[in-house]
Amino acid sequence: MKINEARPYVVKNLPYALNPRSIAVVGASRYPSKVGNKVVYELQKWGYKGKIYPVNPRADQVLGLKAYHTLSDIPDEIDLVFVAVPAHLVNSIVHEAVKIKAKMLVIATSAFKEIGRGELQNDITEYCREHELPLIGPNLVGMGSPYMHFNCGFIPYLPVPGPIAMISQSGANLLAALGTSQEENLGMSFFVGLGNKADVDFSEFIEYAEADPHTNVLSIYIEGLDSPEAFVKSCKKCTKPIVVIKVGRSQIGVKAAFAHTASENPETDEYYDSIIKEAGAIRVTTWQEFLDVSLALGYQPTLKGDNVVMITNGGGAGLLSCDHFERLGMPLHELKDISPLLAARIRAYMPMFGSPLNPVDISGTASVIQYKGAFQQALRDPKVDGVLGAICPTAVTDVLGVAKAAIEVYESTKELGKPFLMICQGGAECAEAIKLLREHGIPAYKTAEQAVNAMVALRKAAKK
Amino acid sequence: MAKLYKVGTPEQQEYLHDYNFAPKGYAFFEPGIYGNDAKEFVAFNIAKSFYQVYPEVFNLAYIEKSTGIKSEEAKKRLKRLYDEKYMMLVKNSCVGVMGFGLYYWVVKLKKGTTPEQRKELTDWFQENDQICTGYMMEEGGDFDYYNGNHMRNLDNLIYGVLDKFRFREYVEYVHLTPVRRLIRESSVNQFDAKKDFRHYFFAKEAVKKAVALKKGMDEKDFALLEAINNAPSAAEMFDYDVLAKLSGLDATEMKKDLVHIVDETKTVIPMVYLDYRRLGIKQRFFLVSLFENTQSYRSEQIADELAEDPRFVNFFDFGDAHHNYMLSIYDELTDAEDIRQKLLGYAEVKEVKEALSPRQFRRWTARLDAENGLYEECVFTDDVLLDRSEEK
Repeated sequence: MKINEARPYVVKNLPYALNPRSIAVVGASRYPSKVGNKVVYELQKWGYKGKIYPVNPRADQVLGLKAYHTLSDIPDEIDLVFVAVPAHLVNSIVHEAVKIKAKMLVIATSAFKEIGRGELQNDITEYCREHELPLIGPNLVGMGSPYMHFNCGFIPYLPVPGPIAMISQSGANLLAALGTSQEENLGMSFFVGLGNKADVDFSEFIEYAEADPHTNVLSIYIEGLDSPEAFVKSCKKCTKPIVVIKVGRSQIGVKAAFAHTASENPETDEYYDSIIKEAGAIRVTTWQEFLDVSLALGYQPTLKGDNVVMITNGGGAGLLSCDHFERLGMPLHELKDISPLLAARIRAYMPMFGSPLNPVDISGTASVIQYKGAFQQALRDPKVDGVLGAICPTAVTDVLGVAKAAIEVYESTKELGKPFLMICQGGAECAEAIKLLREHGIPAYKTAEQAVNAMVALRKAAKK
Repeated sequence: MAKLYKVGTPEQQEYLHDYNFAPKGYAFFEPGIYGNDAKEFVAFNIAKSFYQVYPEVFNLAYIEKSTGIKSEEAKKRLKRLYDEKYMMLVKNSCVGVMGFGLYYWVVKLKKGTTPEQRKELTDWFQENDQICTGYMMEEGGDFDYYNGNHMRNLDNLIYGVLDKFRFREYVEYVHLTPVRRLIRESSVNQFDAKKDFRHYFFAKEAVKKAVALKKGMDEKDFALLEAINNAPSAAEMFDYDVLAKLSGLDATEMKKDLVHIVDETKTVIPMVYLDYRRLGIKQRFFLVSLFENTQSYRSEQIADELAEDPRFVNFFDFGDAHHNYMLSIYDELTDAEDIRQKLLGYAEVKEVKEALSPRQFRRWTARLDAENGLYEECVFTDDVLLDRSEEK
């Protein structure tokens, strides 16, 4: 339901959604195959330190914990009420949550507005607003934070800790991002599924993320933007970069967004584009781009100018990159134009058949020492705003050696505040290098276009 | 002369009218058939989820009118009956209509089966979510278990359930008893009873005997169960205003929906189940086999005659089986010898086997094993789209 701006009581209570002292799981089942059981199980498994109170009118015990028949039976203050019961039971639980003065209500349950029960969803939302009980959901997968060891929902794993706040209306995409986090070191500060977003809005999580010490970037997946004014206001207040993927652009996509999270998109896509621009957020188109850009913005400083130097041992990767830079409206400049002295110095790290143009091609025979020297020279040059490195695995390339050298250089030049991204296009050794680089905070990508998208986003973020 | 339902005559069609029951649909795709989470079920689902704490989901005004028990007292009594595990609100969906076959089976163990082996098999049956209803028999009877599944087809039953235990060394036999007509379960007439659909049978005499046992239920408690189960329609069974208040949904709509699927289409029976184990009594099961040359119509006529007897708690009529009926009575409340003589009084009856059951595993998917902390845990398994013959 629409709001005009982030509500202070909601923002104030949001910490209870991600770091509650006590949780009541309503619908906690004794059966491992059921969702309500998984919620309690995952809380326990991932080391949640607060108190868990399963609520189930039929059970006396769930996963070794005493179960309560109703919320009112719990002899403790409850910060967060997590609801995982069928839709027709929710109304009563909401009233009880208000009665026990819970701080935060999360409704995972589906079958509300998205299947035509808009009135019920609105009634529940209005009741929560009347009593200043923030409601997240309904129709969501859950939330959590690796820093808090908090996995609350039917979510199989936590992401690795990192700087990305992942705020998603889609549970499936949220889970996909968590999987990527595990597999490809996409570190997150917290994540939350908003589902139908009946009450708590993007804008309120934006304000929460702004204050969150672990968050460097906000990554937001939007199906419906029903409170654009609030979104713009909160984004403008936010000093951290914001990446947005807004779906429902196609005709059938508009319908699918309603069927999924009851999201309404009454305006044209151009309208939403302008809202996102006005908010100063970076809009991306594809899911991969969303993750790639989030990674760069999360781990790297913004790109203060457009003097980017690319250092590669493969001319092909260089060409793909410089074409893509130009496509995105940020063409590479020749090295001699950026820094004539650097062009001369960098010659020392390439054979005579290398090219100091930009991309700087240090050739397929480049050694770890040559890479390291070229990276250092480029990053140290005051005229250079950012560096993009690329490794192509020739028979003589020590891919992991180069990755380690890149990490060493990155660690020693961090204080310069320049972004440093890498491309590792190849087989298993490149996948390993990407993982290693990411572990050390260097966004590394499989393809040239991914890295260029990320670098351009870093420039856009600097202009915010 | 009684009808013979002669093949090729109009009487053949009359047979179909008299004994052809609900069409077997494919899950919920048949027009007019609803899934368990459809809006048509919502009133029951709300009551089922709340009666443990809010017994006022039952229609207390109607109960007071029909029993004289005041609302406050009825609430307290219903709460106690639930808390002490005497009763459970359950529903039986007409599995044939829902797209399943209803397959029961009788298990006989070999002589010399050890108590450990018996316990191991009992626990396996109790834990197996595929087995939606099951009865354990006392040692020494003519058979040892009588269990049932709703399943897509026989292959799924054989591969998915039976093959997983029937080759154990101590199992003497497993006899399949596919249910042709589900006539009565837990004292309530089911979908294939010739008449008195949804009627609850618990004779006054039986109530007196049960009360005399002093096992925690008195006349008023039995009257409550009878009032709920014999509510003239689903409209009287629940208090829809209470359901509306709890759920935020519309009372009139919910009532209309439940009346439609219970009273009009007769595809589901909501009822309050009485757990005889908790009451400390046993069910005596009679497995009846007719002579093989008994005509189909005669078998059904006998079933209809027996179904008139209110003393039977359960009554299953089988097709494609060695046996024809499984009936049961409460042993402590009914004269078993009289029942035996009644059954043997039919010249068509070849054999009657008997066994005493002190325990039921589940009531239509809802677990009854409070001792495992899983009382009323409901697991509705659905294998309509599965080919379980691939299971190893």
